[in-house]
Amino acid sequence: MVVPALADLTASAETRECAVNDDDGKREEIKALLTGGLKIEAFPRADTHEAVQAIVAQLQAAKGDLKARLAIGGFTLTPIEHDGIEQSCETCMYYKVHRRYCELPELEVPVEPEWSCRLWRI
Amino acid sequence: MANLLWLQGGACSGNTMSFLNAEEPSACDLVTDFGINVLWHPSLGVELGENLKRLLDAIVSGEVALDIFVFEGTVVNAPAGTGEWNRFCGRPMKDWVADLAKVATFTVAVGDCATWGGIPATAPNPSESEGLQFLKREHGGFLGKEYTSKAGLPVINIPGCPAHPDWITQIVVAVATGRGGDLTLDEFQRPKTFFTSFTQTGCTRNMHFAYKVSATEFGQRKGCLFYDLGCRGPMTHSPCNRILWNRVSSKTRAGMPCLGCTEPEFPFFDLEPGTLFKTQTVMGAPKDMPTGVDKAGYIKLTAAAKAASPAWAEEDLFVV
Repeated sequence: MVVPALADLTASAETRECAVNDDDGKREEIKALLTGGLKIEAFPRADTHEAVQAIVAQLQAAKGDLKARLAIGGFTLTPIEHDGIEQSCETCMYYKVHRRYCELPELEVPVEPEWSCRLWRI
Repeated sequence: MANLLWLQGGACSGNTMSFLNAEEPSACDLVTDFGINVLWHPSLGVELGENLKRLLDAIVSGEVALDIFVFEGTVVNAPAGTGEWNRFCGRPMKDWVADLAKVATFTVAVGDCATWGGIPATAPNPSESEGLQFLKREHGGFLGKEYTSKAGLPVINIPGCPAHPDWITQIVVAVATGRGGDLTLDEFQRPKTFFTSFTQTGCTRNMHFAYKVSATEFGQRKGCLFYDLGCRGPMTHSPCNRILWNRVSSKTRAGMPCLGCTEPEFPFFDLEPGTLFKTQTVMGAPKDMPTGVDKAGYIKLTAAAKAASPAWAEEDLFVV
């Protein structure tokens, strides 16, 4: 078993803290893009497993391109109500409550609880 | 002394491997401590060819008593219902199964293939496989709905892919020591003592399930595997997190989603690409809910639990 040195653990804690600090800047950047008229595909929502897979495949192709990821994911700054359910980040399974972060591996972006995207799942 | 015969049909020998790894009691304990006489087993039997055929004929004729007939693997009916694709000792295995089941005091199906058809019976089922008394959820199977062994019990189903070693040996011991009549079976003829609780019962990720924190990639030690990675622990009946595997672990404890292998539909979704390790959703909600939970209740509970989740629930607790 590999036991990391204490210095390594400290370093990883520092890295984590930096990442959280970076979140605020990234969140502002996303907000500016969305209010600035970035064209996004909020519909159709990913209602079926096949639709989810198709959108995730597009996201994988977009890789590090933030604008493309926001557009493909269909990000909005307010919740979308669909099928009688308010689909906000706050209730999504990929949302980390305390970091205000979307943990879907293909997205990995800081968000706000009232935002929404079409890959919402509960 | 109770005579036990173990045969294999359309099988991978996984349940035999599992059985040979049993610890409480072990396969040897069955012989030395519980008076079980293993007439023949594919990995342990010494008779071959004509000698084995003579033994089987003696059992079928009643000359040798058959107290426990254990069957592993599917009953293969192909091609065209003849069973010729799975011949054994000079005739289709299915003919031996039919004859032996008639003289057995107890008949035990071990593993998914023998219980419900398992992977071989997945569509399009080219080997025309079925379980002893079920084909998936459909009651009947090879022996028919009405079949009971001489003890008056239907086939005792011990499912799993494979079945846990101790489920097998404990049921065999119960039967061999005269406690077979005490077994209560569920609607799929599984012993209730093992198959009433859920795989989730005892799962170390239950706190993440409660706070709705999801594991999103394999290898993460935090997060519940149900929400995204296709885990079937909340709707699968098995004691995998109570009677641990190798005494130390289970799939979910090791970060591997439960595949629901003790349920008749296994493998789920006919193994369609993209279905195995991904939670299927409809309108964003899981297609298969935890047993007994409805969609409206699930959504309310999830939203509330997520809002209340503490920070530690989102971190890896199991630090080095």
